[in-house]
Amino acid sequence: MRNWFYQVFMMELRKLLAYRADFWINFIGQTFFSLLIAYYLWESIFTSTGKAEINGFSIETMIFYYLLAPLIFRIQQGQGIGFISREIYDGSLNKYLLYPMNFFKYKLATYGANSFFYILQLLFIIFLYTLFFNTAHVYEFKILPLFFFLLSLIIGIFCFYFMFCLVEFMAFWFDNTWSLGVILRFATSFLGGALIPLSFFPSWSQTFISYTPFPYLIDLPMNILMLKIESQEMIFQMIISVVWTVFFATLALLLWRKGNLQYSGVGI
Amino acid sequence: MRYFRLYLYFLRFAFSRAMEFRVDFFFRVLMDGVFYITQFFFFNIIYLHTPALGGWDDAQMKLFISSFIFVDAFYMTFFANNSWWFPISINRGDLDYYLTRPASSFFFLSFKEFAANSLLNLVLACSILIYHLSLYPSQLSEFKIFFYVLFLMNGAFLYYMTFLIFLLTVFWSQSPRGFSDVFYAAEKVFQRPDGIFQNYFRRFFITILPFSIMASFPLRFLLEDNILPVISQIVGASFFIYTVVFFLWKKGLRDYSSASS
Repeated sequence: MRNWFYQVFMMELRKLLAYRADFWINFIGQTFFSLLIAYYLWESIFTSTGKAEINGFSIETMIFYYLLAPLIFRIQQGQGIGFISREIYDGSLNKYLLYPMNFFKYKLATYGANSFFYILQLLFIIFLYTLFFNTAHVYEFKILPLFFFLLSLIIGIFCFYFMFCLVEFMAFWFDNTWSLGVILRFATSFLGGALIPLSFFPSWSQTFISYTPFPYLIDLPMNILMLKIESQEMIFQMIISVVWTVFFATLALLLWRKGNLQYSGVGI
Repeated sequence: MRYFRLYLYFLRFAFSRAMEFRVDFFFRVLMDGVFYITQFFFFNIIYLHTPALGGWDDAQMKLFISSFIFVDAFYMTFFANNSWWFPISINRGDLDYYLTRPASSFFFLSFKEFAANSLLNLVLACSILIYHLSLYPSQLSEFKIFFYVLFLMNGAFLYYMTFLIFLLTVFWSQSPRGFSDVFYAAEKVFQRPDGIFQNYFRRFFITILPFSIMASFPLRFLLEDNILPVISQIVGASFFIYTVVFFLWKKGLRDYSSASS
């Protein structure tokens, strides 16, 4: 099993690197514009309030946050919208039903390859930041937080993968589920903390959001990396995110079985 | 007149296609509804921590949000599907088909896909805009509102044309997506008031990549007294981008070799 998983994983990585110039221009361009917009937005807010710190964030901390949060969001996305639904529509899902391998594991290998690649980019950025910006009050390189950061990130990838599967499996019943994928992305971006750190939300909404799986996808890894969370609270939140992952995995499996009964294999 | 008739055919095809995917109508409304709510919440949270952003107070910001929501809905209805297919058509060689038609291939690729399923969202966006215009505490002249809406429509087309600059690189890079990821990161500028940007970047976003021209400047036209510089900036930046796109398109066609050749 390990052999085919590895082969699929590597094949997906090669596909990602097929257009290298594009890949690097997109990566650098995305990082540059995300940072630029965040910088001007928050600089304007800090200037108009006259404060050096808002909710525990200085302008430097905020820049670091917006340097990594969009990338974490990108890591969770894997292959992006349509990674299963497209195959349900055009009938190419048939091949997975005939392959002597588990569909979820196959898709996880391709999804994981995408996430893995963006994790490498993220580590590269953290490395560069540590090397060139000597700002210990913003971020200090420590092995243990980095380890827990990566662990929470990986749990987040699994959790989002199964949430994404739920949305994609809707294609068994509906003609077009692209919009549902976009809704999930909006929700994750906003309620997960990619658009704005969750500590800026009113306290009533923070309580509400903590009952959803979203804060464990972006906000938790960021808090761990920026040392904004106590160890006990971190362990507790990681356990909750594992529970969410198991919940979505179970739902996805049920939906897959039900969807298979619905699937005609001819495509539309 | 010939192109107008052709466009009516596109509309007819779009509506009959949309009728096949009825649930998608509902999902699209839901999707854009979530997007609109997210944007209002986002700026509401910002205004919990600051009294003004980019020189605009809460009422002006609500008008700004309504403006870029309108631009987004207009773009989604008239141009979005075309921009998604644009690089794929070039990359796969489907452009060959349009080059042999007795009509402009650019017209075909830019207007063929009308998103009938987004039409409801455009109605929703119009309602939000009208609602916030009516709530605005000062009197707004009807003459200005008329041109403000025209400038917003121009903003939607400008958004599409700016996107094309990133997509037309497909002619040379042969990748199926062009630099769309960079565009999607940069386009957030149009969802932020132009007043937050300073110095060179401010100039950059009102000339070279005129995202601030799409929603911020039409609102400036509506709210400010000195409108001449605003109008000249909108016209100048739009003309510049349209010229660049047509130049790149012509150059791209010269270098195009079809996917199968």
